[in-house]
Amino acid sequence: MKVTVPKLPRWLRQVGWRTVVGAVLLAGIVHITATLAVPLLGPGNAFRKLQETLPANHMVFLPPPTPTTQLLPFVAADALYAACRFDLRSTSVAVSAVLSDPGWTLSLHTPQGDNFYVMPAQQLRRSEVTFVISPASERLVDFGSRRFSGDDSQIESPVTEGLVLVRAPLRGLSWRAETEAKLRRATCTPVASKR
Amino acid sequence: MNIVGSFLINVSAFVALAVGGGLGTAWYMMDSGSRLSTRTLGPWVTWTTAGRPDADPYTRAHTSRNALLPISSTLELTYVATSDSNGGRLHSACEYAIVMEDPEIAWWGIAAFDGRGSLIHNAAERYAFNSETVMREPDGHAVITLARDARAGNWLPIGGGSRITLVLTVQDAAWAAASVERGAPKPLPEIQRVACR
Repeated sequence: MKVTVPKLPRWLRQVGWRTVVGAVLLAGIVHITATLAVPLLGPGNAFRKLQETLPANHMVFLPPPTPTTQLLPFVAADALYAACRFDLRSTSVAVSAVLSDPGWTLSLHTPQGDNFYVMPAQQLRRSEVTFVISPASERLVDFGSRRFSGDDSQIESPVTEGLVLVRAPLRGLSWRAETEAKLRRATCTPVASKR
Repeated sequence: MNIVGSFLINVSAFVALAVGGGLGTAWYMMDSGSRLSTRTLGPWVTWTTAGRPDADPYTRAHTSRNALLPISSTLELTYVATSDSNGGRLHSACEYAIVMEDPEIAWWGIAAFDGRGSLIHNAAERYAFNSETVMREPDGHAVITLARDARAGNWLPIGGGSRITLVLTVQDAAWAAASVERGAPKPLPEIQRVACR
C-alpha cells in the first residue's frame, strides 16, 4: 500500500532545519524569561492592586466584597477582610488579631503573593494572636537594635514590604455584626526602635 | 525564489516560532497549568504549591498574574472548576447541583464567579456558602444549587449570561497533606448539570 505524504507549501519548504532548531531554543529562553518575569514585573498582582488602598503599617477594614466593591478577583464574599501593607524599611511592625472561629486566618504575603506565614483559628488554643514582623536580615546585620517585649513572637519577613491579611468567614447574616467587631480588633502598628 | 526571499522567510519563521511559541507556551502554563504544577480531580483543578514560598515558577506566575493571595497549600487548598463533572462548560444558562459531604473537613467554602473572577450580581446578594452557613440534610450532607432563578435550600444565583467559575476552598491541614502528596486523593463534590435553557 502506498502511503501519500502531504506536500508542504513551497514557502514552508524554504525554512531550514537550523532555523527551526534555533527558534525552538530561543522559544525556550523566551518561555523561561516570561515565566520568571511575570511575578516581578507583572502590573496586575494583588499587592499593586491594594497598594493605593492601604496606607503603610496600618490595618484597614476592607469593604465587604460585592460586585461593585470587590478589590481582587476570586475573593469569596462570604467573609470579611482586614489588610495591612507592612513596610519594614524603617521600623518593625506589631500585628495582633483575634482568630475566633474555624476558617479565620491571619496570613503574611510577599508582594508576589507568596504566603510565608499563616495562622489559622484552632480550637483549644488562644484565639488572640500577637507578633512582631521584622526583616529577616536584621538579626545578622543589626542585631539588638530593636527590642520587643518578651511576650511578643517575632516573625522574620523575607521581604521589606508585603501584606497582612485577616480573613473572617461569616457564619450567617445574624453573626455579621459580631464578626465585624472581632475583625476590627485587628491592629498593625509600627514598633518604636530602641537603641 | 531568490536568496533574499528565502532569507526573509527564514527570519519570519524564526521570529514567529521563537516569540509566539515561547510566549504562547508560557501563557498556557501560567493560565491552565499542567501536571507539573496542578492536580486535577474530576472537574476541580488545584495548584499544588500555591502560596508556598517554594512554589514552582508557573504557580508563582499564575498567582501574580491573577492577583491572587493564596494561603499556603500546606494548610488550605483552592480548587477551581470551569466545567461540570461531564466536561460541559459551566454557564449561567444552566442549573447545577453540587453535593457536599464534609464530615472530616475542618472548614470549606464554595463561591461562584464569572469567567474573570468577578462576583455575579444578584438581587439576593448571595455569592457563596461555607461549612458554617450551608443548610444540611439530616445525614450531614448539603446540596448546593446553582441556578439563575430562586431555588429552595442552598441556592447560589448565577445570572448574567456568562461563563461560570466555581472556587472551592478547603482549609484542613490533613486534607491538604493527603491531596498534595499525590497519595489517594480525597473525594471532591461532583458538579451535576440539572438542566439548561
